[in-house]
Amino acid sequence: MKYLSLKIEEINKLLKEKKITPVDLVEEAFENIDSNKELNAYITLNKEEALRKARELEDREVDNILFGLPIALKDNIITKGLRTTCASHILDNFIPIYDATVVEKLKAKNMIIIGKANMDEFAMGSSSRTSYFGAPKNPWNKEKISGGSSGGPATTVAARDVLFALGSDTGGSVRQPSSYTGIVGMKPTYGRVSRYGLVAFASSLDQIGTMTKNVYENALLLNAIVGKDEKDLTSANKEEEDFTRLIGKDIKGMKIAVPNFFMSDIVNNEIRDKVKEVIKVLENNGATVEFVDIKYIDNTVTLYQIIAMGEASSNLARFDGIRYGLSKENPKDIDDVYYKTRAEGFGEEVKRRIMVGSYLLSGENAKIYYNKALSIRDDMRKEFINVFKDYDLIIGPTTTTTAYNLDDPMDDPKKSFMDDVLVIPVNMAGLPGLNIPIGFDSNNMPIGMQIIGNAFEEAEIYHLASFIEKELNLKLDPKGGENNE
Amino acid sequence: MSNYFATVGVEVHVELKTNTKIFSNSLNGYGEMANSLTNVVDLGYPGTLPTLNEEVINLAIKAATILNCKIRKKMHFDRKNYFYPDNSKNYQITQARTPIGYDGYVEIEVNGEKKKIFIEEMHIEEDTCKSAHRGSKTLLDFNRAGVPLIEIVTKPCMTSGEEAKLYLEKLKELLFYGNISDCKIEEGSMRADANVSLRSSLDDPFGTKVEIKNIGSISNVKLAIEKEIERQSKLLDNNESFKEQTRRFDDKLNDTILMRVKETGNDYRYFPEPDIPYVILKDEMISSAISDLAMLPDERRNIYTSRGINIVNANKLIANRSLSDYLNNFIDTDMDFKEASNILLGDISAYLNREDKEIIDTKLTNDKFYDLVKKVSDNTLTSKNLKDILVKVLEEDKTIDEIIAECGISNITDSSMLEEIVQKVISDNPDSVNDYKAGKDRALKYLMGQIMKETKGGANPKLVNDILKRELNK
Repeated sequence: MKYLSLKIEEINKLLKEKKITPVDLVEEAFENIDSNKELNAYITLNKEEALRKARELEDREVDNILFGLPIALKDNIITKGLRTTCASHILDNFIPIYDATVVEKLKAKNMIIIGKANMDEFAMGSSSRTSYFGAPKNPWNKEKISGGSSGGPATTVAARDVLFALGSDTGGSVRQPSSYTGIVGMKPTYGRVSRYGLVAFASSLDQIGTMTKNVYENALLLNAIVGKDEKDLTSANKEEEDFTRLIGKDIKGMKIAVPNFFMSDIVNNEIRDKVKEVIKVLENNGATVEFVDIKYIDNTVTLYQIIAMGEASSNLARFDGIRYGLSKENPKDIDDVYYKTRAEGFGEEVKRRIMVGSYLLSGENAKIYYNKALSIRDDMRKEFINVFKDYDLIIGPTTTTTAYNLDDPMDDPKKSFMDDVLVIPVNMAGLPGLNIPIGFDSNNMPIGMQIIGNAFEEAEIYHLASFIEKELNLKLDPKGGENNE
Repeated sequence: MSNYFATVGVEVHVELKTNTKIFSNSLNGYGEMANSLTNVVDLGYPGTLPTLNEEVINLAIKAATILNCKIRKKMHFDRKNYFYPDNSKNYQITQARTPIGYDGYVEIEVNGEKKKIFIEEMHIEEDTCKSAHRGSKTLLDFNRAGVPLIEIVTKPCMTSGEEAKLYLEKLKELLFYGNISDCKIEEGSMRADANVSLRSSLDDPFGTKVEIKNIGSISNVKLAIEKEIERQSKLLDNNESFKEQTRRFDDKLNDTILMRVKETGNDYRYFPEPDIPYVILKDEMISSAISDLAMLPDERRNIYTSRGINIVNANKLIANRSLSDYLNNFIDTDMDFKEASNILLGDISAYLNREDKEIIDTKLTNDKFYDLVKKVSDNTLTSKNLKDILVKVLEEDKTIDEIIAECGISNITDSSMLEEIVQKVISDNPDSVNDYKAGKDRALKYLMGQIMKETKGGANPKLVNDILKRELNK
């Protein structure tokens, strides 16, 4: 019996009635992971501890809907006692001594951490191919990438190993791989989820996001991890809310904007056609959909590169071989410790970004580039806010293409940013954005649509996403299993 | 001393007296076991983030106020990026662009003239960890990492080592009285660097700047600057040029020693710290920080001298803050401050030093001290009485009246009783009386002595003197 393919309410009922225990779920998850081993979704499995925890939960009262359910974490989320590598050689032996705030929250719900999922090294990349541990493979076609940087979490959820995963999204790293693998991925509003314990890439953009196979479970998982955290000054103080509360409601009267840039010829035709089909469905159900222009939205990749690489160059300075992680032996002097450790510990893409970032902050450049980028970003955020004066939500494709081949060349460093041209604006504006699968291309690879909401309006995004999910009723199991919505 | 005009600027780092560190909840302490006051934030562990200790902002507002600085109401923190093992994140969180205080001054007195030392800016930052070099190894103690600092930077407005010394002494007194720092240079809670340059004429631009780092005491700051002026003068006399450089002062060699020459300006890649949102200082926050600021030394000095304490004693009180604070409890009373300061600096200080106690550790209540000063000042108690009862006053839970009764000193202001004794002494010593009448002053002193003997020192000398003269002149 495959319990993890049941509806979440049914699993919860079986647990409550003691017909199954968390041990059954954990064992099933590890069987799934084992059968999908070649997908390379994980860097570290937490088998012993997960089983121990599951056994401990057997006698415990089932007190919430997430109780006893296995979850995968992107390997840049700090887990006490469980190796956290950021997919980098420099941390490949790093066992943290504290838990990220989100991990504490998951543990408080008695969820079970099944393992640490693969990713681009320090989340730098869009195909997870910069991982020190090799790239994960797309469950829909093993020749294809799963996207990135949260490629591992997307892979394991798409392959139906587990129901839940957490990723992180600095410039689309939750939504883009979700789009490539046909799952639901939410990047919440900046500040919605504590970043304490998320290894920083670009502090002003990073946000932990939820990755699931359907909208309802995504909202449930988000319910569990949000909230003001005293340990993160950038976390927002918001009243508790139930993100599932608008799911299943009709969309009559909803006003939706589509940025012209999102439907321009940078996006491949098959994807644009699918989005147009969805727009028709929405209009037929009483929503208004209009095309709008959003200033600066076509410049965000440049802005993103400046801000993200500048911040990254400083954030990654702490990996120096002195207090933790890789440290090369027999150095000549202190500078030699830095040179040797960092030269061997970091991969090419990470080094490239540190160098470019250092240059961008160097001397007068900080004023010319970084400060200017921050100010244009502020203007862009205002442009988005203006759109939300007239519209409830913004939609468009998540990506310009579907997942490409794992062996496509990696020699153009700009390409990985261009993969994220449609998802980056959302990070720049600090807004919530979600990927919802809307169909397949002619090669049977998933196509995703992005729904963008005003700040802290995640519930409204889930509202529309759940409607689209229900209307399209796609078969989203790569192995052809039935939907369980 | 030299053919050149010296320009001196001083940068001071002061550790703030907070309970916890600036960006984490580790305790802020000194002298504890190495690395015992640290957590994952101080150690720069991956994924950790800074919090912001409000106590630091409060103290910085106070410091800015004391230094007559303008206060920036919207400020942010910046990252100063550089690789060094004393810095766990390889960047230091500081304020490069929006220092909390700017455009201030401290007033000093140079040769009887008042001079304002202008403060360019003061900003908040975190301290680094302490490194100890042992042969080829370096040991790191992160207890100090993240201890809050304020850095106070003067304009290049001083002209000598003496001025720098006076400025630092004044600064130390101010920050100590503001409860901002304990300003212990020997423990590193106050650290000073000096910048020195020379030029031939005040119309010339500033000369090449030399920075002297890590000077271990205020008197050494003066010495170091003087030595550096001497050294640069000689170079200039010989037309030798030199580069901008950093030196340190070696007090054994009594000279400055080259540490490094600045080839190009350091590139710290400053940018706004994205982990800490802008800090907005509301007016109420500023006024509440200022409202519980302790009274500063200059104001104390003014009050003390205006209430009859001489300047020497006023300064002695200010140098002993707990006594000054104690005396300030009575500012709103009619207490005789002169008498009070004599008692505090005299018998009470002697007792406290002897017993190694603070005044607050004694049984001296405000009421008792008020009563004591009053009784000394109106001659109810003589200075001998005071000495006799002081230990009881400081160690027992009794009122002054109770102690006086217990010691049997209730007779002294009873003039009728005194008169009896005076008459007895006069009749017992006819020779002396005659000597007095013959104009011999020594006789009066002898008679006084006899009376004091009779009263066992318990009589008020002035009263005795008055009665004796009156009786003798009858």
